[in-house]
Formats: sequence, C-alpha cells, structure tokens
Amino acid sequence: MAYLTMENITRFYRDNHVLANSNVDFELRRNEIHALVGENGAGKTTLMKILYGLEQPDEGRIFLNGSEVFIRSPLDANRYGIGMVHQHFRLIPDFTAAENIIFGMEPKRRLFFLNRREAEEMVRSISDQFGFDVDPSAVVKNMTVGEKQQVEIMRMLYRNDETLILDEPTSVLTGRQIESLFYTLKKLTRAGKSIILITHKLNEVLSIADRVSVMRQGKVKGTYRRGEVDKKELSQLIFGRDVQFFAGRGVSSGHKFAGKKIFELKNVSIRSGDIKPLLDSICLSVSPGEIVGVTGAAGNGLRELEDVVSGLRDLSGGQVFYHGEDITNFSVHKFREKGFAYVPADRMKRGSSLQASLKQNLIIINHDGFSRFGILNRRRINSFVSKKLRQFSIDGNPDLPLHLLSGGNIQKTVLARELSIETDFIIFSEPTWGLDSAAGEYVYKKIRTHRDKGKGVLLFSSNLDEILGLADTVFVLFHGRIAGRLDNDGSLTKELVGTYMLGLEIDE
Amino acid sequence: MNRREKENIIVSFWGVLLVLGASLLFAAVLIFLLSSEPLPAVKYFFTGPFLSRYFFGNMLDAAVPLIFTGLGISLAFKASLFNLGGEGQIYMGALVTTVVCLALPEFNGLAGGLTALAAGSLAAGLLAALSGYLKVKWNVDSMISSFLLSSAVVYGVNFFITGYFKDPSSSLLSTPFIDSRYFLPHLMNPSTLSTSIFFALGGAVIIYFLLYRTRWGYEMTMCGLNPEFARYGGVNVSSYVTMPFFLSGLMHGLGGGFAVLGTYHMSIKGFTSGMGWGGIAVALIAKNNPLGVIPAALFFAYLNAGSKAAMLHTDVTFEVAAVVEAFVFFFITSEVIFSFIRRKRRSLL
Amino acid sequence: MKLVHDAVTIMTPFLLAALGGLFTELAGTLNIALEGFMLIGAFFSIVFVSVTGSMLTGILLGVLITVIFAFIFGAVSLYLKTNIFITGLAANLMASGLTVVLSARFFGSKGVVTFSGLTPLKGLHSGYSFFVYTSWLLVVVSWFIIYHTAFGLRIRGTGIHPDAVSSLGLRPSQYKLAAILISGAACGLAGAMLTLNVSAFVPGITAGRGWIALVVIYLGDRTPWGILAASFIFGLSISFSNYAQGVLNLPADIILSFPYILTVAAMTVYQIYRIKRKGGGLQHR
Ligand SMILES: Nc1ncnc2c1ncn2[C@@H]1O[C@H](COP(=O)(O)OP(=O)(O)OP(=O)(O)O)[C@@H](O)[C@H]1O
Ligand SMILES: [Mg+2]
Repeated sequence: MAYLTMENITRFYRDNHVLANSNVDFELRRNEIHALVGENGAGKTTLMKILYGLEQPDEGRIFLNGSEVFIRSPLDANRYGIGMVHQHFRLIPDFTAAENIIFGMEPKRRLFFLNRREAEEMVRSISDQFGFDVDPSAVVKNMTVGEKQQVEIMRMLYRNDETLILDEPTSVLTGRQIESLFYTLKKLTRAGKSIILITHKLNEVLSIADRVSVMRQGKVKGTYRRGEVDKKELSQLIFGRDVQFFAGRGVSSGHKFAGKKIFELKNVSIRSGDIKPLLDSICLSVSPGEIVGVTGAAGNGLRELEDVVSGLRDLSGGQVFYHGEDITNFSVHKFREKGFAYVPADRMKRGSSLQASLKQNLIIINHDGFSRFGILNRRRINSFVSKKLRQFSIDGNPDLPLHLLSGGNIQKTVLARELSIETDFIIFSEPTWGLDSAAGEYVYKKIRTHRDKGKGVLLFSSNLDEILGLADTVFVLFHGRIAGRLDNDGSLTKELVGTYMLGLEIDE
Repeated sequence: MNRREKENIIVSFWGVLLVLGASLLFAAVLIFLLSSEPLPAVKYFFTGPFLSRYFFGNMLDAAVPLIFTGLGISLAFKASLFNLGGEGQIYMGALVTTVVCLALPEFNGLAGGLTALAAGSLAAGLLAALSGYLKVKWNVDSMISSFLLSSAVVYGVNFFITGYFKDPSSSLLSTPFIDSRYFLPHLMNPSTLSTSIFFALGGAVIIYFLLYRTRWGYEMTMCGLNPEFARYGGVNVSSYVTMPFFLSGLMHGLGGGFAVLGTYHMSIKGFTSGMGWGGIAVALIAKNNPLGVIPAALFFAYLNAGSKAAMLHTDVTFEVAAVVEAFVFFFITSEVIFSFIRRKRRSLL
Repeated sequence: MKLVHDAVTIMTPFLLAALGGLFTELAGTLNIALEGFMLIGAFFSIVFVSVTGSMLTGILLGVLITVIFAFIFGAVSLYLKTNIFITGLAANLMASGLTVVLSARFFGSKGVVTFSGLTPLKGLHSGYSFFVYTSWLLVVVSWFIIYHTAFGLRIRGTGIHPDAVSSLGLRPSQYKLAAILISGAACGLAGAMLTLNVSAFVPGITAGRGWIALVVIYLGDRTPWGILAASFIFGLSISFSNYAQGVLNLPADIILSFPYILTVAAMTVYQIYRIKRKGGGLQHR
C-alpha cells in the first residue's frame, strides 16, 4: 500500500526557464528503501525539496495515508514526519552535535532554560539504539563528512521523522562509511521508517533498494522492484544507453616508469603545533604517462596533501620539484602560471564561485587570449564558453549565477575549466563525487587520455574502485605517512589496499 | 544591452516612481500636520528643483560629489569591501586640494588645479588604503577601521580648517578662497554647476569599463564573491584588498577636490559632511553598478534640492526634508516592491 | 580614581547599546540603526519623564517608543526585503529629523531643550546612576539568554547558517526581528541615560555613539563579557582624553579624535596578538 504519494507534480524555474519537474508521479511504501536515480539535472533534488516544503510545486498534490496534505514549509513537512538530509549538509558548524540535533525542538528546563544534559542524554540514547558513533559534545566543524552525515540522520530520528529523504548521501563517503550507512538504513526500515535514497551509484541501488524510480529530464520514467532490472537496463533507462565505467582496466601493467619525473615530492611534512604531524616525510613522484593514485581513509592526510601539491599550503619541511626545478612553497599564482590543472575535492567553495555566473567561473584561468593588455576579449570568451557548454553538455545559462545549476552541472563546470588547460601535469581530487555515471565515464576517459598522451596525473580518491580502475601506482596514506606504495599490475585487490588503509600493514 | 537589463531598468523606473508617489503622500500628511501653508510646501518640495535655473543647476551640482563617492563605494564593494570612511576621505581630499591651491600661487590654472586634485585624491586614497593594509597584514576588520580612521580624520581636518589654515578675515570657519585661476568654469549661472559634472560622468564610464571590461575588474569581482576560489584560480587575492580601498579613497578625494574647485572655492568646516554617507546610499540604490550611480546620485540630489526649495519658500524646517528623505530610503531598496512590479508587468504582457 | 569613575559613566551608554547590538550581530544583521534608536530613546524618555513626572514610567515609555521604532525598521527591512544598510541609514536620518521636527513643534526650539525639576536616579553611595547598575545586570542577563536558552541558540544559529535554520522549519526572519527589538530596547535605555544625565535634549546628542557601539561589539569578540571589557577600555580612553584636554591644553578637535585612533590601535594590537598566538594555518597570499 502506498503510504505517501506525489501526484502530477510540476515545477518550472522562471529564473532560467527550466522545467525541473513535469507531471511527476511518485509513491513511497512503508518500510521500504526507495532509490531515486537519474542523470545530473534530472530533477531529483527538486522533487524532494517539494516533498520537504522547501519548494512549492506549480501543480500537483501530495497524499499521506490517503489524505491530501499541503506542505508549504519544512515545518509542515516536520509535522507530517518527513525529514531530509541535503546534498550539501545544513549543519551549523560552530555548534556541537547535540546542539545541532536538538536545534528547533530543544528540551527545556523550567520553560526557558536550555537543558544541555537532557539533550546529550537523548542524543546518546539514539546513538545506542541505532549504533551511531558520534560524540554529542563534539563541534561539527571538526568532524569528518561521515560523522556530519550521522548527525544529520540523528537529527531526523530525534524529530521522530517517519519518512527520511537522503540526497546523495554516499557520494562523499568512503567504502567502509557507505557500508555502515547502509547497515543503519536497513536497521531504520526495520524500526518502521521509510527511506528515499538519491544516488548515482547503480551498484548501491541494486544492493540496497527495495524499489527504484528513474527520472529523466524532469519526468519519472518508471518504478521497478528489486530484481526487475539489472545494471545494464537501469543505465539504459537513465541515459538511454549502456554506460560502462571500467571497460577493461587499461592499466599499463608492469610498465616501469623510469627516468624522467614531471612532479616530485621529497620528504614533505606538515606540522602544526607539537601534536603529531599532519603529513610526515611524504615522497612520491609522477612520470610522463603515469597516473599516480593516492588514497586513504578520511583524516589520514589526503586533504592536506592535496593542499600541498596545489600550492595552497606551506610545508614545514621537504621539497617539491617540477621538471627538476625546486618549487617548494610556491604560490598558487605560480602554480597556475606553470599551467597546472587541478580539480579540487571541494568543488563548491574552492572549485567554483556559486554567486558568480557560469561564464565567470569558466574563465578564471587566463588562457586562450581572454584578455589583451588587461582588456577582456568578450568575443573570445563567449565562443570559449559556448564551446565548453557544448563539449561537456553543461545545462545552464552562462550569464546566470552558478548556484542555479544542479549539483552535477556545477561539477562539470569545474571539470570543463580545468580540462581545457594545456598542461603536462594535472591533479584530480575525488573527480566523480556527485557526477552521474555518464559524466563519470567521460571524466575517466579524459583522465586516461591525458595519461595516454604522456602527461602526468595525480589522482586523490577515497573511492577504491576508482583508484584500482585508473592508477598505475597507488600510494596509501595512514596517519599522515605513506603506509604503502603499490604497483597496480592487475593483481592488486581492494582488500589488500584496505589493509593498508587501516594501518594493518605498513611498508617501511 | 540584453532583454534582462532592459527589463530591470523599466522595473526600477516604476519602482522608484511608486516609492516617490508614496513619499509624496507621506510628505503631504507630514506637512499638513506641521506647516501653516501645506500646499505650497508640498509643491516646492517636489517641483522646486525644476522651477528655476538656479535650483536646477544646484541640484545637478550637488550630484557631482555624490557620483564620486558613490563610485568609490561601488568599486570597493565589488571586492566585497565596505568602505565606511567616506566622510573622512572626502573631507581630507577637499582640504588637501584647497591647501595645495593656496600654496601654489604662481602656477597656471590647469597644471595647478590638476596638481591640487592629484594631491587631494592621493591623500584620501592613502587614508583609505591604510584600512586595506591593516586588513591584509593583520586581518583587522576593514569596515570598522575605515570608519574609525575617518572619524579621527574628520576632527583632524576640522582642526586645520578652524585653526591652522583659517582665514582670519572671514567670519566663516573656513580657509581663505583659492585663486580664481583654479575655478572650474560655471555652466549655468547663477547656479554653482560647473564643468566638474563632466569629470563625474567620465569617471562613471571609466569605472564601469574598469569593473566590467578588464581582467583587473573581473579578478577583483571574483575576489569579492569567493576569495578561496579566486586564490585557487591563481589570482593574487591580497592585492585586491589594498588597491580597491586605495581607489575608493581616491574617488572620494576627487569628490572633495572637485567640490572645492567647482563649487565652494575654499574649505569650510563640515562642508562635505553627509556626502560620504550619501555615497553609500547612492551606491546601494544603484546596486553597485557604476552607471547606475549617476541616476541614483541625481535622485538623491533631487530630494535634497526639493527640501531646500521648500525650506526657502515656506515655513517648513529643513528637518522635515530629512524625514521625507528617510521615508524614501526606507523603501527604495525593497525587493518585494520591485518584484511585485515585475510580476505585474509580466502578467500584463 | 576619578578617571575610572568617569570612565564607568561614559562607558554605560556604549555598553547598553552594544549589548543590544550584540543580539542583532549574532543574528547576522549589521544593525547600523543603533544610533537612531538611541536618539529616539533619548528624546522620548526625557519627554515622557517630564510629562508623567515619574522617572521609571517615563523611561519605560521612552523605551517602548524606541521598540516600536525598531519594529518598523525591522519589519521594513525583513519583510519588504530592503537593503538593511540603507534602511539603517534611513532610520538614523528619520530619528535625527523627527526628533528635531517634534521638538520644534512642541517645544518651539530646534536647539537645546532643557527640562528642569527632574530628580535624577542616583545609586546608593557610589554616585553611579541607576543606568550603570542596570547595564551590569544586563551583561549577565544577555550572557544567560545567549548561551543558556533555546532562544539564544536559535539567534546564534540564524546568524551562522540561516539556510540550516529555515530548512528545520524555523523562520530566520522572526529571530532577526526579535533581535532587532531587543536592540531597540537596549538602545532606548542607552539614549534615556544620555538625556536624563544632563536634564536636556540636544539634537544629535548621541554623537556617533551607536557607531562606536558596533565597534565595541567587534572589539568585545561578540560576547557580553568581552563587550563589558571593550566598552570600559573605550570609556577609559575618552575619560583620559577629557582629562588630557584640561592638562595638556591641546585643541579640542585633536582631543576628540583620540578615542578613534586609540581604538584602531587597540584593534590592531589585538589582532597582532591573536595571529602570533595562533600562527600557521592556510596561508593568505
Ligand atoms: N533554485 C533553482 N533555481 C533555478 N533553477 C534550478 C534551481 N534548482 C534547480 N534548478 C534547475 O532544475 C534542474 C533540476 O535540478 P535538480 O537539482 O533537481 O537536479 P538533480 O536531479 O538533483 O541533479 P544532480 O544529480 O546533478 O544533483 C536543473 O536544470 C537545475 O539547473
Ligand atoms: Mg541533486
């Protein structure tokens, strides 16, 4: 029996003339995990925002247990037991976990005063019941993504929500974190919750979802029970074709990269204060035609190393070389002058400027004669921009602010800009976070093309499939040190890399 | 100009008209309550600036410093910097311009005037740049420091005008007149309107070009919108803190300098007071668009001129004007009003 | 000692206004209308005190009018979605215009209006007025509200991440409005102190104190106790310059600029100290 039904939902965005949802029907059953899939910009987030009261549909109705409900704000959604975890978390960074969880429904003492003790008690009991692992008094801004996500979910449980919406919860998690998230979700459905899960990872859909709905260009193309479709059919439904992520590993197995080095780190360290170093004596090098993958669990130095190689952070010790030239503690400005391309993990804050227009986002790196004598050449810029929009099938108006684009289109904008740089060295960090499979496939193709042209690629990724599918050489970070340097010669397995990630094995 | 820009202009026009209409009503009510001759007072308030060459010219002239200060604010604002020190900067620019003119009795008009202007705007620019420097160097909040420095400077300038450089033969608290060689030609006698207005208009075009058509303006905008992104993109972010402040101060200094050369021909205690704040209002009404600064400054000047006319011809006190002006400012930036008009227009089309 | 005693009296209006402004600041609104609020409070308190003949009633009515004024300012800026800075300038302009217009209409003067026969509210032995003690009490009360009530939590949340607040079904604008009303009340009190201390209303009597209050909030690191310390430092520097004026015989204008210069210097030194202590981190180039 359908427990929640959305009927004939239509939403048109006037600002940029996008029909994000067009006569969408969607139904959710009790105790099910219902996956919602579709390519970037298909309208998934919009549909869920409507259900959560953050957007109002132009048309359409919503029924809960057979009677019509009007959800005009998250307050209404809350009243009907609907909760949502957004694609980009909405936690208050300066507050503790407990404060974030109780926010808006605070337990009070004598009517007025905040009862912190009771709050932490309640948070702890939710933790125990569902097996979360978060310190209620820890401050959110110091947490890992996985912990933040747990806080978001605990907040819905604290509010007694019955329907839980999770918008791309797995795109920023590592394999282990995803496993534990899914374990929790299963437990929640057993406790009577119903869950809507947006994701781009089709394996996940097949493994956890009871049913799956496919959206395409603002419409729902169909809903299928588990076992009714396989990966190939699903991908056919989403993209209109079969997308193959890792068609043949294409790894130059056993090939030795001797001699010339494009980029090299020697004994790179970062210390702050007298606590243990964030990075400790990192040595690695990238040769022409090589993809060097760096992985590690969250909090083990991956992000710090990314900051170092991109010139955003100074070293406490060690050296950085580019074609033999010492460029230690070079500024980002220099870094860009050398022509490096860099796709950062944080696409929203570092990789793009959400208030700036799509066009402005594409031309930050000055090449192709965007300006002469300091004066912008608008004709060149416009032709460059329209070329990139076509090439990367970015769906957006170049003159409107970037935040109007869907999550995936923002990612593509970053890629489009960085991949247009003529360079022999490129850094990718978590290149497929938030991308649909078709876009992901495109990125992988690009990365391989770079390699095949004899360029050097440094790939930071916490996704082991990605690392194993692309990298020639794999470095695993543990506690800020290199726990292992592994050749990806075809015999390397996820399990082996995993043991290094956990520090169970460390090469000296 | 594309369709969107055109629509924005039309919507702004009707929105301003609506707010003005409402303020007309408000002014009428207020004046009826307070004045013994309400009808003429209301009439002078709103039509006064157009009734004579004198009032009209003065209104245009009053817009000149506001265009400069408005441009200065918009410029800094593009880099997300709030220059709250306009009052001190324009005052400083005016004083230094006057003093240089007084110190250069033998120069020819043009060279001397230009030197004086350059010195005045440079002084004001450096004053503003100090806030930028403190921000880059030690992360001192530039909005607060610019306000404090400017407040201190206002007293300092007062000291020079009423003490060191005071004209002993005058009953005004002011410096002596500068030499008439340095006066800018007047355009609409008997009003004070001078050729300085052309400099103001030219300034607006130049700043517009700088902000929207150059790499420099683009990079500055990017620093303002998201400094982390700008740095990541290879932009030297810290250079876009001191420089915009300097230029912003420079514009304020020019505003003060032109007020001296074109209008007052000396420095009087407190004579630029309000122009700094006015510049902020102008910039915000213009949504920080340098070309929008021109009509916004004219609008501001119109309100002032209207209240002066009403005060001269009737028993209304000048403060009534302040109240009516305040009423206009309360509503002039309302997004709700403007989007209401936009919707109405769309439903008509 | 006299220096400190004076400093305490001088700092009180700053302290009161800054405490009020702290709420708006934490709620994420740059409230430049503090100046105007104070002026309204200054005018109406003394008028009502002289009309009702009672200090307390008069002050309360004066504060009430200020809160209403603050409400208009808040409602316009939040619900008509105006630029809060311009609306703040408008509120200041409105306050300075309105007080003069009303004083001209009802007291026949655009200048100083004196009110004789007011009995000042004195403290017990110390010679501090009622306002001084109230301001100290309010420091504690603010601290409690901000850190130990749900309301305080929501105000702070609104300031840090309004989207998070609204996606939990709360309305950030409500909390912003509440903060504005609180700042109105506090500024009303601050203004009342200005006029009642001298038993007169002078146009523009606030003389930039609302602006300084904003600086005090910032210098006080946006906490009630910090604000207490910062306003004391500011009070001390003014009382010191007053003293210096008598002794050194410097021109008044130069003396008047001292507090501003001292404050910039204090801010800079404080920042240098902070950077030295913290060190490292992502570099700024
Ligand atoms: N606030 C908004 N204003 C204007 N247009 C919007 C807004 N939000 C989304 N859109 C547009 O609506 C379309 C659907 O966006 P939506 O965010 O629902 O996509 P999605 O399916 O969640 O994609 P992704 O997988 O990339 O997150 C996109 O074309 C997007 O540009
Ligand atoms: Mg989405």
